[in-house]
Amino acid sequence: MIGWRSTWSIYTRELMRFLRTAFQSVLAPVLTTSLYFIVFGAAIGGRMPDLGGVDYGAFIIPGLLMLTLLGETTSNSSFGIYMPRFTGTIYELLSAPVGVAETLIGFVGAAMTKSLILAAIILVTARLFVDYSIAYPLLAVLYIMLVAAAFSLFGFILGIWADNFEKLGIIPMLFLTPLTFLGGTFYSIDMLPEPWDTIALANPIVYLVSGLRWTFYGSSDVNIWISFGITLAFLAACTGVIAYIFKTGWRLRA
Amino acid sequence: MNEPILELEGLSKVYPGGLKALDNVDLTIRRGEIFALLGPNGAGKTTLIGAVCGLVRPTSGSIRAFGHDMASDWRKARSRIGLVPQELSTDMFEPVHRAVAYSRGLFGLAPDPARIEEILRSLSLWDKKDERIMALSGGMKRRVLIAKALAHEPDLLFLDEPTAGVDVELRKGMWAIIDQMRDRGVTIILTTHYIEEAELMADRVGIIDRGKLLMVDEKEAMMARLGRTEAHISLSTPIAALPPALARYPIEIEEGGTSLCYRGGDGTGRGKQEVADITKVLIAEGIDYTGIDVRESSLEDIFVSLLGEEQEQAA
Repeated sequence: MIGWRSTWSIYTRELMRFLRTAFQSVLAPVLTTSLYFIVFGAAIGGRMPDLGGVDYGAFIIPGLLMLTLLGETTSNSSFGIYMPRFTGTIYELLSAPVGVAETLIGFVGAAMTKSLILAAIILVTARLFVDYSIAYPLLAVLYIMLVAAAFSLFGFILGIWADNFEKLGIIPMLFLTPLTFLGGTFYSIDMLPEPWDTIALANPIVYLVSGLRWTFYGSSDVNIWISFGITLAFLAACTGVIAYIFKTGWRLRA
Repeated sequence: MNEPILELEGLSKVYPGGLKALDNVDLTIRRGEIFALLGPNGAGKTTLIGAVCGLVRPTSGSIRAFGHDMASDWRKARSRIGLVPQELSTDMFEPVHRAVAYSRGLFGLAPDPARIEEILRSLSLWDKKDERIMALSGGMKRRVLIAKALAHEPDLLFLDEPTAGVDVELRKGMWAIIDQMRDRGVTIILTTHYIEEAELMADRVGIIDRGKLLMVDEKEAMMARLGRTEAHISLSTPIAALPPALARYPIEIEEGGTSLCYRGGDGTGRGKQEVADITKVLIAEGIDYTGIDVRESSLEDIFVSLLGEEQEQAA
C-alpha cells in the first residue's frame, strides 16, 4: 500500500527546492547548450559533412540532451537525498510511515520532472540554432523518461553512498561526464578508427546516446532495441540496489 | 492512564564495533503519562528513542506501539508517534508554515491550515509563519521542531533533550508547552540532563546507564523509597554523648560535639517530622541550639547515588 499523500509531500517539496534555485537551474543548461551550439554547431559544424544524412548541428542535439540529462538528473537526485542526510533532517523521513515506494516515487519522480523540464528547455534552445524534426517524438519522450528514471535512481544510490561532498561530485565528474563526451555526443562512433570504434562499444553511454539519436532521426550507431535493453537493465539494477539499501538500512538507519 | 501504549521487551542494540548501546531493555509506557528518561551522556537514551522511531535497527528484542509490532506493522504505529530530535535539524531555507505543513503531509494526513495555525499559535510561532527557519533564534527553531512533530497529531511524542542549550526563561517556556501537550492527552517521553526538569514534569522516571535500565518507578514512589532528609543542628555547648531519648533516631555527633547530624526519613516528609521531634527532645533535655539546616534529597541525589552504585558494581 502506497501512501500517496506522503509521496505527494516529498515530491512537491523536492520540486519547491528546484524552484528556489529556478533561475540557476534553468539558466545554466540554456547557457551551456547555447555555447555548445555556437562552438560545435556554428563554428565547427559548418565545416563538417552531414552524418547519415543529418546536418551536424542537428546530429549533436540528442547527445547534448543526454549530456545535460545524465548530469542534471544524477546531481538533482543525489543532492535530494544527500542533503537531508548531511543536515540531519532525514530523521523525519525515517520516522514517518513511509516506505521505499513513497520515498522513491517522491524523490525520483521529482528528479525526473526536473529533468524533463530541462530537456524541454534544451530542445527549445536548440531550435533557436538548428532546424530539426523528431522522427519518433513519443518514443523520444519515453526514452528520455526511461533514462531520467534510471539516472535518478543511480543518483539516489550515489546520494546514499556518499559520506562527503567530494564523493558526491566525484562520480559525475570523473566518470559520467567523460563517458558521455566519449559516448558519441559529438560524433558517430563509425568515425573512429579501429580499434577505437570497437572499444567505444564498451562505454554504456554510447548505447544511451545512440538510442536517443535513433528516436530523433531513425538511424544510429547501435540497434535501438539494444539501447532500450541496456537502459532497462540499468534501471532494474539500480532498483535492485535501492531495494537492498532499504531492506538493510545501509547508510540510512544506524 | 494505565493502558500501555508502548512496550519494549528485551530490546538490545549493539553497534558495529561492539558498543552495546541498549542492553536487554524492558519498558512499558502508559497512555497519558510524562515519562522522563534520565541518564548520563552515552547512556543509550537517544538510541532507545531511535529504535522506537525507526532511526536505529535493534539487534534483538521487540517493540510494540499501540498494539502494533514495529517490525511488521510499523506504518500504523509510526503514524501515531512524533519525534523532536536533539539536534536542530530542519530545512533552514523553508518558511515555518511550509515546513510544518510538509510534516503533516509526510505522515499521510490531508492539509489542514486551521490545525497548522492552531499549532503555530500554541507555540507562539504564528507571527513567524512566513519567516525562513534560518532567521529564527535557537529557541524558536526548537519550537518549530515541536510544531513539526505535532503536525500529524501524534498520541505519543518523544522529546530528546528538549531544553538542551536553552536559557532558563526559554526552558520554563518549554515546560509550559509540555504541560499544554499533556493537557491535550499526548503521552510524552522526554530525555533530559536537567534532573530538575524531570522532577518538575514527570509522572514516572527511568534511569538508564550503559544501555541498562537501572530503575523505573513513579517519581513520587522513587523519591519516597530512595529519598532522605539530612539535618545539621548546631549546638550552643558541645556535648559528649547523646541523651538516651535520642537513641532511637539516626543521629550522630559531629564536629567535636558542637553539631548533631540527622540522616533519615524516606522522602515522604517523615524525616522533617523526626527533626522536629528531635528539637523538642533537645529542649526538654536542656540542650540549647543556635541553628538548624534541613535538606531533603532531590531526584538528582538519587540519580547520582544510583549511578555511583552501578559504576562501583561494574568496576
